[in-house]
Amino acid sequence: MSDHDRPLAGRGRRLLASLIDACLVPALTVLLILVTGILESAEAYRDQMWVAQVLGLSILGYLMLNGYLLWSRGQTVGKAMLGLIIVNSETGEQASIWRLILIRAWFFPVLFLTLAPPLTILPLIDLVPIFFGRRRCLHDFLAGTMVVTRE
Amino acid sequence: MNDRRRLILLCVITLLPVGFAAAENCLEVVADLSHPYSIGWGIDQANHRLQHDTQISRDNVGSLELAWVYGLSSDKPRSWPLVTKDTIFIGDTGNGVVALDRDTGRSPHEGEIGSAILMGKVNDQEVLIYTDRSAGLFAVDARDGKPIWHGQVDDQPVPLYSGTPLIHEDLVLVPISSAEIGLPLNPFYGCCTTSGGMAALSLADGQTRWFRPTIQTPPVRTGGHWLLVDEYGPSGAPVWGSPTLDRNRGLIYFGTGQNYSQPTTDTSDAIFAVEVQTGEVRWHRQFTSGDAYNLACDVSSDHPNCPKPSGPDVDFGAPPVLVRSQKGEDLVIAGQKSGEVHAMRPEDGALVWSTRVGRGGALGGVHWGLAANEALGLVFVPISDVAARSGPGAPRPGLFALDIATGEIRWERSRTARCADRVCAPGLSAAITATRDLVFAGSLDGFLEAYDANTGEVLWRHDAWRGYAAINGVPAEGGAFDAHGPMIAGDQLIISSGYNTFGQKGGNALVAFRLPGSAP
Repeated sequence: MSDHDRPLAGRGRRLLASLIDACLVPALTVLLILVTGILESAEAYRDQMWVAQVLGLSILGYLMLNGYLLWSRGQTVGKAMLGLIIVNSETGEQASIWRLILIRAWFFPVLFLTLAPPLTILPLIDLVPIFFGRRRCLHDFLAGTMVVTRE
Repeated sequence: MNDRRRLILLCVITLLPVGFAAAENCLEVVADLSHPYSIGWGIDQANHRLQHDTQISRDNVGSLELAWVYGLSSDKPRSWPLVTKDTIFIGDTGNGVVALDRDTGRSPHEGEIGSAILMGKVNDQEVLIYTDRSAGLFAVDARDGKPIWHGQVDDQPVPLYSGTPLIHEDLVLVPISSAEIGLPLNPFYGCCTTSGGMAALSLADGQTRWFRPTIQTPPVRTGGHWLLVDEYGPSGAPVWGSPTLDRNRGLIYFGTGQNYSQPTTDTSDAIFAVEVQTGEVRWHRQFTSGDAYNLACDVSSDHPNCPKPSGPDVDFGAPPVLVRSQKGEDLVIAGQKSGEVHAMRPEDGALVWSTRVGRGGALGGVHWGLAANEALGLVFVPISDVAARSGPGAPRPGLFALDIATGEIRWERSRTARCADRVCAPGLSAAITATRDLVFAGSLDGFLEAYDANTGEVLWRHDAWRGYAAINGVPAEGGAFDAHGPMIAGDQLIISSGYNTFGQKGGNALVAFRLPGSAP
């Protein structure tokens, strides 16, 4: 069976996979913050550079956790646990690594930074399209991807 | 015809040929910057907070009436107005500095203005001086708000410019505290390495002339906690309040806060005397030793960044007052958050008297500021006694009058809680302001009151726990009185109502009262 023929991932499984990633990536980011010590010194807060540094570490954490899986199987850890795969929305083949890394990998850490009001609305906007058609979030449209089941 | 009317008439005549654009420039010229009603946070440079230049007195205070309300853009306003002959300058977070009664004076600066506004002269031109709590010190043209210079203190990585500066000759003296009071909330932060201090900047260009840290010992690693984060000390001893000038001795006096981490120093919770021209320390006297605290302790005493042991957080937030007793003796009087008031000799800091007035705690005791009336021989002490890391005994919120020479309590006016419709915090946290025969104080439960300076009798009261129709169309709500307190100027009483930084009722009303029948 080609990836194009695989059934679309259910919204509940996608949500669960995202929640797993949303726990693992920040946890690893926290570990990286500890190891690098970027928040330990008062100097880090002198010109608000710590915001960019934390963002950079969260992207690094995302890639450390999911980079190999994305490259080899089109999956994050959460999606692998739930049997989901990210594919090219036009061909149905495994999405190319540049779509997964350069677009999707940036998207999630940025979304984490929007947890503070009033930016919280942005992740909700991202979610709206999943309730239509091919269950693609806004970031799926931007990356040209969709999520299907592995079976 | 007075000068102002002449200028307006001149403008109107000039307007006819040159159009509307010129009108704005003309109106800028009309703004009269003469006759400022204060030259520092303390109205005078000795921080008496005593306004002689007023018609409001014991005899007519009962007739004070609401004149107008301006709706500020913050519900925790923390700026104190500068009032000149016909203009009121006030920091309005989000809108910068605004000049009321005129559309001039609007500054492009839009940070959190954390201080009173001062006026000085640079190249014979009047400039407004004020601080943004995190961005530093700003000098802008008083007539049109155009920036002149922006000064910062580079000696510390995360300074807070929370206290009001003081202008003396060609210097701007700037109290320096530190964001490290809050950074330890982050358990990954290696607490703490910064020192509070006092800086002197050039009035002409904002360049730093000298910086005097309150902790001279460089911080070193003192250990680490379970998150593998290093701990450092000594640190802290921030300066939150405006300095007090002693012209005769060439000194400034200022108080410090607690240490942020262990080990503690002998310069925290202390009063400093520093030479104004050089920054050299003449003397310092500590009143509470071993006081180490930062905001991580408010999360839990087990927070990895809460110092162990932690202290009561009883710093000197209120500026000292330099007074002369009726015996002709000069004294430096300082109110502490511990609820105590201390009097020292200005020459060497020797203790003359110390009186416990309130129970004290992290939000006072004495929180923002005293007032003094040398003619009556009294120093007036507002007591907050909000329950926060409180000291021993029962709370004593209210206003007290102490004998300047002896520290004895001459009268006291306790305030009781009105819990039915408002937060049960009757204390006086905001700074107070006195006149020849009155004391004005705003309470945490929203009452602005005028006390008879001789007896403590309440002669006038306004309940600000309400909404107002504001002249600028912004919905205005009154709330707790806190922070800088009342400004009195001529026939006017001006005060910001609302302040929700520590759970009080917020509000955004800049309220002006006026004696009836007096000219606007």
